[in-house]
Amino acid sequence: MSGPSAQRATATLLGALLLVIPLAVAAVLFASFASAGLQRTYTLFLINLVAVLGLGAFSGNSGILSFGHVAFIGLGAYASAILTLPLATKASALPHLPTLLAGLEWGLPAAFVASLVLVAVFGLAVGLPIMRMGGAAAVIATLGLLLIVHGILIGATDFTRGANAFLGVPRLTNIWTALGVAVLALLVVRWFRDSAAGRQLRASREDETAAKAIGVDVLRRRLVAWTLSATIAAASGVLLAHFLGAFSPSKFYFDDTLTLLTMLIVGGMTTVSGAFFGAIVVTLTIEVLRRVESGVDVFGWETPELFGLTQAGLCVLILIVMYRRPAGMFARLELGEAWIRGWLGRAGGTPVAAASTPVAADVAPGLLRADGITKNFAGLRALDAVDLSLAPGEIVGLIGPNGSGKTTLVNVISGLILPDSGKVAVDGADVTDWPSFEVARAGIGRTFQNIRLFGQLSVLDNVETAALAARGTEAVPADPNARARELLARFGLLDLADRPASALDYGAQRRLEIARALALNPRYLLLDEPAAGMNPTESNELLRDLAALRAETGIGLLVIDHDMSLIMRLCDRIVVLNRGEKIAEGSAAEVQSNPAVIEAYIGRKRARQGASIPTSEGVS
Amino acid sequence: MTRLAFSAMLAAGVSLAALGQTAFADDTLLIGAAISKTGWDAPYDSPVMDGLMLAIDEMNANGGIAGKFPVEIETRDNRSDNAQNAIVTQELVDEGVNMMIVTCDSSMVHAGAQIIVGAQIPAISTCSSSPTLPLSGDGYIFANAVTDNVQGAAQAEYAFGQGYRKAYLLRSPDIEYSQMPLYFADAFKKLGGEVVGESLYSLGQPDFSAEVTKIKELQPQPDVIVTSAFEPDFPAFIRQLRGAGVTVPLVAGDGIDSPTTFALGDAVEGVVFTSSGFAEPGSPMAAYQEKYEAKYGKPPESIMDALGYDLAKIIEAAVTQADSVEPAKIRDALANLENVQGATAEISYKGGNGTPTRPVAVIRIEDGKRVLVSRKAPDPAIVPAPNLDLNAAQ
Repeated sequence: MSGPSAQRATATLLGALLLVIPLAVAAVLFASFASAGLQRTYTLFLINLVAVLGLGAFSGNSGILSFGHVAFIGLGAYASAILTLPLATKASALPHLPTLLAGLEWGLPAAFVASLVLVAVFGLAVGLPIMRMGGAAAVIATLGLLLIVHGILIGATDFTRGANAFLGVPRLTNIWTALGVAVLALLVVRWFRDSAAGRQLRASREDETAAKAIGVDVLRRRLVAWTLSATIAAASGVLLAHFLGAFSPSKFYFDDTLTLLTMLIVGGMTTVSGAFFGAIVVTLTIEVLRRVESGVDVFGWETPELFGLTQAGLCVLILIVMYRRPAGMFARLELGEAWIRGWLGRAGGTPVAAASTPVAADVAPGLLRADGITKNFAGLRALDAVDLSLAPGEIVGLIGPNGSGKTTLVNVISGLILPDSGKVAVDGADVTDWPSFEVARAGIGRTFQNIRLFGQLSVLDNVETAALAARGTEAVPADPNARARELLARFGLLDLADRPASALDYGAQRRLEIARALALNPRYLLLDEPAAGMNPTESNELLRDLAALRAETGIGLLVIDHDMSLIMRLCDRIVVLNRGEKIAEGSAAEVQSNPAVIEAYIGRKRARQGASIPTSEGVS
Repeated sequence: MTRLAFSAMLAAGVSLAALGQTAFADDTLLIGAAISKTGWDAPYDSPVMDGLMLAIDEMNANGGIAGKFPVEIETRDNRSDNAQNAIVTQELVDEGVNMMIVTCDSSMVHAGAQIIVGAQIPAISTCSSSPTLPLSGDGYIFANAVTDNVQGAAQAEYAFGQGYRKAYLLRSPDIEYSQMPLYFADAFKKLGGEVVGESLYSLGQPDFSAEVTKIKELQPQPDVIVTSAFEPDFPAFIRQLRGAGVTVPLVAGDGIDSPTTFALGDAVEGVVFTSSGFAEPGSPMAAYQEKYEAKYGKPPESIMDALGYDLAKIIEAAVTQADSVEPAKIRDALANLENVQGATAEISYKGGNGTPTRPVAVIRIEDGKRVLVSRKAPDPAIVPAPNLDLNAAQ
């Protein structure tokens, strides 16, 4: 590997080392100079850090808050403790264990691996239904998971001693085992964040619909992240069990859930650095306050005991952070991300300023067809048996008054909504009931009427994520990074590559959305009002770009717009919708003189007076 | 940023390490209290510590234990959390405490036991009645309250003495304490009684109609119902039981000795429960309660604070006996204590393997007031052995 992907891997590793090194140095210092109590505090911090990193790997990248991860911690703790419990203790404390388990006394490494595998399988199984829900329903389901697992831990008395203490677990977790696991967890979550899957998941966090439209299998990415994060949480549970030596199900319930969420939210949920520093800040706050609350000597004056100060302090901390920095102390900053890449970029010479190398124009035979599409929304007929076809190399305009069903038709074709009847076929393949990410991979790109970019991702990442999703389809871009840069260069966005997409001006956002849709190498591109809000100069540029695009790539374009001058000049063929019905189809001249079209646009009375279609109409 | 955060972390670490170092004279008894000041367990530990402090203040006013060992208490909040409890326990051990007071929740005591045993420091639980503490305490952890098995035996003696022969149990396998009826059953059978049925419940269960219906339909009706349910389960159960017209006598554990129970009125009339103590006029308990009211400006709400006073007296006796604040000597003296006069009773540890030998007060609720039925230690021959796995005892 060389070039941008190797550079990205190096940046990931260096970013992780920025966090790993202080962690390890602090461990050495604590082990050499600190009291046993402080060493324990640091060990517990490392264990909590692993849990927060695990939680962040899912919640941070997917944007779905999880209340259920403490359940995985508990399962990891109990599973491993049953395996490592000394035989004598096992016989007296857990006499009803199945014979197979009753005879086992494993070492920590074997128990560690076995517990992680077990929890990973469990996580995958419960993740299948939960990840399907998405959004708020998924959050509630994770809460349910916490309650159910808590109930199971209490109910499975033969394995767990119910709500009683599970005792006699060998205390094998020390500062070094905890450090080892924490470092590993840091490397894994940092790698996952920057991996193709991680970046696609983050794109879906910013905008799920748009992510699907560029071919991201959101469900699958979520499931991978969920299972990975459950496994990391379980690792923290194994450490905790062998740190405490005794615990009960109440340890794995709301209190710890809230502490973990506090760490994640205070630091900043979306980055590994945020989770890392959240864990540090919350731990430090707790440690300082709990020493103050039992009364300290300040220059000979003994402060009064103020128990409860710790909890109060944490609440104040959350309030301050939420008020001052709603996205967490680190907001969306990943430590070192920007300047490591900048530094690597300088060291390795300027990145290839993509000389616009167009993809060879191959006007493949084929057709995008929509036949007899009908769609009702609660009694309102949005589309009524509409036919539409689009050939590669063709530019078709789709016009009609507001509410005539244009966007609904695009949504049906791109798989976002299912039609009540009718069929969509891409080059002969029936894609009518395919999920939108598969339709995208089948070669249909699209943009949205109200721009849907991944606002917090960089301009480059917006396009590269789409190029990554295209891997595994027929149109494989050789190097997603190079492909993305090439597209940015084509749309004049390369200079802005490292800016967050949300920071672009309106016209640039429109262009970026088109560039992103093209990263999939689609054969058909559906543009929903690409010129909306553009001034005449900008829309002229767009016109030129789109015409050139067709000439170079042989792509088929379907363009919805209210800018009649743009449509009339650009399109080979125009389809007119009114109230869900196709009322006309033909060349610009044919459509302009069609009485039904004139009537639909300007009303019967004025049509009789001989008015013509306005050439530019704002979006109302 | 990293460097800044890191040096801040180090600086905090160093200054915190310094905070812990407080010099004490050699003859000061430094007691580390790893207890719950906040969280669900706090309502149990707090009154015990109130009673304890009353006695410690008395002792220090007289120059300390035996006039020469002043007492210092270093309290750390475990926030009712197992992991935090392990940390504060370790911290107190690091500070070189001479002995420890540990929390009421047996699961947390078990969790801290490894550290305490490893450091060879004697520890007493504020109010845990679990007879299994010594199993993980290995000679270093002592109970203070009357243990579940002894209460169960006292309940059996009382019930059998009343002529009851058929008992019905209501218990929850969720925690150790709510399994006390199993100890009762063991002792009751030894005496010649019989258990005719039982119902299981979950802690925090809001509705007991299924259990009540089952009891109501029993033919013949049992002579007595035995339970160690406590708030909020006990009030819910007894209301529904009496509401359904079941008048079978009920015997309960010390967990119902709270203001809530006495506010239940007719529903608890005639209910009998076992307890560590009872304030007879002119008794040490009554004298203690006067002192308590003088200090805190209100009468005690339950027996818990008196247990704290007992705890202080036990510590006083052990240190006096050892004539030293060395942990090893205190432990040996503690394990051999006999007839220490506390607020609630005379307490002995000799031969008890960490559990106290105390008389058990059997108390009946009449007109919303406590009436003493009997006050004695149950016959050792019928006291069941502590059992970590109570479900297996079935």
